[in-house]
Amino acid sequence: MKSIKLKYGYIVAAIIVLTTASCQKVINLKLNNAPSQIVIEANITDQEGPQYVTITKSVPFTATDNFPTVTGAVITLNDGVGRQLHFNEVHPGLYILYPFQGGVYGRTYTITVKIGDTTYTAQSTMPTVSVPLDSITDKPNVFGKSSLRTITVNYQDPPDIANQYLFVLFVNSVEAGTIFTNDDSFTNGRYVKEDLFQTDIDIHPGDTASVNMQCIDKNIYQYWYTLSQQQTDGPGGGVTPSNPPSNFNNNALGYFSAHTITGKSIIVY
Amino acid sequence: MPLIDKLFTYRPQYLNIVILLAFYLLISIPASAQKKFTVSGNVKDATTGEILIGATITLNKTSTSSNNYGFYSLTAPEGNYILTVTYVGYVPAVYTIALTENKVVDVGLSPKAELQEVVINAHARNNDNIVSPQMGVEKLDMSQINNVPVLLGERDILKTLSLLPGVKSASEGNTGFYVRGGASDQNLILLDEATVYNASHLFGFFSTFNSDAIKDVSLYKGGMPAQYGGRLSSVLDIKMDEGNNQNYVVQGGLGLISSRIKVEGPIVKDKGSFMISARRTYLDLFLKASSDSTVKGSQLYFYDINAKANYHFDDKNVLYLSGYFGKDVLGLKNTFGTNWGNSTGTLRFNHIFNSKLFSNTSLIYSNYNYDIQSYLPGNNFNAVSQITDLDFKEDLQYFVSNSHTIKFGVDALHHNLAPGSITADANSSFNDKTIERRYGLETAAYISDEWHATDKLSLLYGFRLSDMFLFGPGTFSTYDAAGNTITSNTYNSGQIVKSYFNLEPRFSASYSLTPEASLKASYNRNTQNIHIISNSTSSTPTDLYVMSSNNIKPEIADQFSTGYFRNFNDNMFEFSTEVYYKWLENQIDYKNGAQLILNQDVESQLVYGTGRAYGIEFFLKKKYGKFNGWLGYTLSRIERKFAAINNGDYYPATQDRTNDISAVGIYQFSKRWSFSSTFVYGTGNPVTYPNGKYEINSLTTFYYSQRNANREPANNRLDLGATLEGKPHKKYHSSWTFGIYNVYDHRNPYAITFRDSKTNPGTTEAVETSLFGRVPSVTWNFKF
Repeated sequence: MKSIKLKYGYIVAAIIVLTTASCQKVINLKLNNAPSQIVIEANITDQEGPQYVTITKSVPFTATDNFPTVTGAVITLNDGVGRQLHFNEVHPGLYILYPFQGGVYGRTYTITVKIGDTTYTAQSTMPTVSVPLDSITDKPNVFGKSSLRTITVNYQDPPDIANQYLFVLFVNSVEAGTIFTNDDSFTNGRYVKEDLFQTDIDIHPGDTASVNMQCIDKNIYQYWYTLSQQQTDGPGGGVTPSNPPSNFNNNALGYFSAHTITGKSIIVY
Repeated sequence: MPLIDKLFTYRPQYLNIVILLAFYLLISIPASAQKKFTVSGNVKDATTGEILIGATITLNKTSTSSNNYGFYSLTAPEGNYILTVTYVGYVPAVYTIALTENKVVDVGLSPKAELQEVVINAHARNNDNIVSPQMGVEKLDMSQINNVPVLLGERDILKTLSLLPGVKSASEGNTGFYVRGGASDQNLILLDEATVYNASHLFGFFSTFNSDAIKDVSLYKGGMPAQYGGRLSSVLDIKMDEGNNQNYVVQGGLGLISSRIKVEGPIVKDKGSFMISARRTYLDLFLKASSDSTVKGSQLYFYDINAKANYHFDDKNVLYLSGYFGKDVLGLKNTFGTNWGNSTGTLRFNHIFNSKLFSNTSLIYSNYNYDIQSYLPGNNFNAVSQITDLDFKEDLQYFVSNSHTIKFGVDALHHNLAPGSITADANSSFNDKTIERRYGLETAAYISDEWHATDKLSLLYGFRLSDMFLFGPGTFSTYDAAGNTITSNTYNSGQIVKSYFNLEPRFSASYSLTPEASLKASYNRNTQNIHIISNSTSSTPTDLYVMSSNNIKPEIADQFSTGYFRNFNDNMFEFSTEVYYKWLENQIDYKNGAQLILNQDVESQLVYGTGRAYGIEFFLKKKYGKFNGWLGYTLSRIERKFAAINNGDYYPATQDRTNDISAVGIYQFSKRWSFSSTFVYGTGNPVTYPNGKYEINSLTTFYYSQRNANREPANNRLDLGATLEGKPHKKYHSSWTFGIYNVYDHRNPYAITFRDSKTNPGTTEAVETSLFGRVPSVTWNFKF
């Protein structure tokens, strides 16, 4: 249903383009700089193998995109049944838990990140079911240039439970800068064919498209959904921008997500 | 208790109060030994039969104005009098009257033969603005609106209104407006007394009001008269043309993006008339010209129809029927289609009981709906939503004496909200889903008295009692702060879920220092029980309406204002300054990341706060002469306060615009040429800029700390217009209107967004989008 909003955006844009010359220009603004913030990205998947945490800091808007890494953090994962698992820093700001048997469905994990004197904790629940990505398909763009392609993800939503999803799209191994997230409030129990509308990367026939599908918990869905709303402030002004609600305490930015993962890849036809 | 019983226990309570108060007012009026008689009647245009609102009627030295239905009433001791009736652009009528009994004098005024003087105010050259206790009111004359240059030549009352102090347009080229710090859903917009929910076409670029069909526009931004209620910040009262009851007239116009036509004429000469007016845009023709097949197959247009008819049974009974129907249609071939629109209907009956008591009874229907259809294979669905109102109003005006005019009445307004339902076929990704309908009843009773206490002091005082009932059937939940359901109760049809009762005092006073200067003050409280959940600046067709409920309390506004009014040069110039302070309670916003679309628990997504607005407005207008126009300046501050935003501190609301200047000038160069110009300047809107950036999932993400802590660059713009009247011709009349919007091509910010730089990878940049550069327009108008 979010696509409805998107469609209006396109149409408003169409009106503007057709009736007048709307114009975009890069401007210089005096922006206030907030103190640098801790950013934690922590993921636990249902797959056996290494699990990653990255810790960085925010920078002023006008700085280049070199985000300082945070080293020397002590990271512990409580697996919900009393075991404490420890992450090791393998690269400045990159922490790995290995070996790991894969997250258990329905279990609530707690992560503790100690940086200096401050401890940040977050909880996330691995969904009870891993909904598999059935297939990905492609079709001509619905909005914009029809010579380009749009990727569609197809999956069977389980009827009995509330599900939330995150899709990560890669085109020729480059990640698309659009957040695709959805829940089943309109599609519960359906075989869902969801178009991944995006304009970051032009998809041509012959390109390789891959999609990772994650089943995520409600808080993380809220996180990605809020972040995705920040992105769609098209004509008419989107929602007032805000930080997505982190499940970490002590004002850390970022998230801790325990999620399932399945993936598919196709050559675009 | 069933609804009916409940209502019967409620209604008599305040009806009693109203009756008691009316009675008290009546007996408090000093009885006079001298015999008094009343002269009353209707004022009309003698050539078209169109009633004249606000004509000045003078009986020797006492004067009054005709009301919204053209009716007047004056009372004086027995004797001989001169009765004069004046209205700008018309030949005054003078009668000698021997007042030995109550008399009815119906007046037909003839338009002046010479070129009609262009005036700002439809009223005669008088000092009404000084002596009337009403403050915070703006009246626009249609000839004014027709002369002010606008975007694409589509003259528009809402856009012209935004050139007045205290009124701000929502964004460039947008018909949404904010009055004294109120949100755009806090304006009560009435078209022939019917509420218009979505007053915009095409996302706000055009208003639903076709100025061809409009006769009179009044905007109350403060000192709200007691007969109006239901919205916090303003009342925009729009009256449609009645239609010519003498001759058939056809007029119309061909513009760049739309054409319009109006037909009017008598049903029975002197007794009844009709008017029908329609317009349609043809933006879609431009789309057809596109080479892109998707664009080519798309739809994009709106149309609207205004119609009105009246019939005068005799000089005491008049029946009016008016209606509006408008629709926007928009779609992409084989992809999706959507349409939305308002329809309203008003059946009104004016009855003059006697020379002192005037009654207006209205039965009103109003509907707003939208429909969205997706044709995408595997993703098809149809979503619909609508609001239907039925309203019964009885308004009475009692001309007690020349010093007291009492208005009182009752109002019962029934809301039926269908927030939305989706249907889809078996092959679709979507389920059928229907959000429960909500039913509400707003009832009100009011009384007010306009009292000319002394030659210098006039008072307008009264109150409005308003009730809101939310009733079943349905399931109604309460929520905790996190939005989780705490309780959930099911109610039967007609069962009261929640009711609210509010007393709204309304008071204003004027004290004339001299015949050309006065001081005024007013206090009023307004409440609102139907709310839009939106923080978008532009109006969208899917704006979500909710009523006050077990979770949502009625919004309340208290406004105090005071002002100094001064006319110069035999009332040729009007100057006024008003200071106001407004408190707002129970304001509604939604949480970050709220799910609003078709959510049964949408009320769990809301947060509540307070607000305040204060400012000073200056207004200077030249009313008459070859050159006329106005200059307005507003200095104001508009703030909101929500516990979860900016640490619970006051922060500037989106519509806060510290300085706002508008200037309008119209110059009648010759009999055929007139020129006009407007200039606007406004402080940029408060916006939230990022205070930093970070990386999530290898995507640049922006960090925000304070809501609305930044400002967009200031807006300014100059528009020019010219009208060329065709050579006089017996059978027809035509004119050309030319306009240039944004003469010096200043790019005003519409949106400022932030993104990764494409030219300089590894950095981010701010991008300003502006909508309109210099836009010329031309329209051809005709009348025969």
